[in-house]
Amino acid sequence: MSVQITNGALVCEEKVELIGDITIGARTLIHPSVKIIAEAGPIIIGENNLIEEQTIIINRFKEGDDESKMKVMIIGDNNVFEVGTYSEALKVGDNNIFECKSKIGREVTISNGCIIGAMCSLDTNEILQDNTIITGNQRRIANEKPQSQLSQLDFLSKLLTNFQKFKKTNVK
Amino acid sequence: MDVPELLYKKAEFIETASGNKVSKNSVMCGSQNIILQGRTVVLQDCIVRGDLAGVKIGRHCVIGERVVIRPPFKRFQTGVAFFPIHIGDYVVIEDDCVINASMIGSFVHIGKGSVIGRRSTLKDCCAIAPNSVVPAETVVPPYAYYSGQPALYVNDLPECTRELMMDYTEAFYQNFKAV
Repeated sequence: MSVQITNGALVCEEKVELIGDITIGARTLIHPSVKIIAEAGPIIIGENNLIEEQTIIINRFKEGDDESKMKVMIIGDNNVFEVGTYSEALKVGDNNIFECKSKIGREVTISNGCIIGAMCSLDTNEILQDNTIITGNQRRIANEKPQSQLSQLDFLSKLLTNFQKFKKTNVK
Repeated sequence: MDVPELLYKKAEFIETASGNKVSKNSVMCGSQNIILQGRTVVLQDCIVRGDLAGVKIGRHCVIGERVVIRPPFKRFQTGVAFFPIHIGDYVVIEDDCVINASMIGSFVHIGKGSVIGRRSTLKDCCAIAPNSVVPAETVVPPYAYYSGQPALYVNDLPECTRELMMDYTEAFYQNFKAV
């Protein structure tokens, strides 16, 4: 049981709760008051992710699950979790955007380039196609993946070092 | 509108010289960039991100629990910029809202759990229904009531909206008492 923060990741100290076996990749930025809880197995978060305030990422057993089988939760690279996202999804690919207050269930597999709109809740057992956009109660497939958020991440990491205290990194 | 009495423990709030009451449990990042002009109440677990850009909140506002006020960003060819956020006087923001607007006028009421999209503008005397999603860059005109996901125009507000909001916010401040 340990929290591993790779060198270059920025994890704010204020009200951030990291519980259980969690690995955070390089250049991932975690804002204040975020909860990441690994109860039912480890959580591995990739590189260049942006996790905003009040986001809850939780790996936990559903009712009726066999509690002896641990499952790993993997979150890829370049994802954005906006304010108030709640995610239990075990597999999240790359370049996805979860807008404010979206809610993702445990059985959903998010592939690459998906956008989940504000306040959308997804609790089905399915694999989302690449570049799916879900807004309100419609869904469609985009032709191209969403714009990269790297410029925002660069800007934020420069800005926040003046204001926030960060947790110490412990993996090179 | 009747306002019930809301009691708080004196140790849990900070009262400033201009009469602002700010919960000690709220997160005020970059407090040198946050201006509260007076008699504004900020309840528990709010997050105001003054570190991203300036946040200016007028007089007699009520900011509910777990509200996130976060300056909006815009991507330019040359980079990214965060815009300052201005909130007028006598504004009520209820619990669990996410505010990414660039401007909110005076006498505005935002219902519980709403999401105000990036760089949207809410003009004076408008109202947003609970659990609405106002899309990015929307302009909500004065005296309009918006509702839904995405939020759309529903009906007009009465001409006395200004007085109603003043009465409500002043009564809230009066009834927000220390024990």
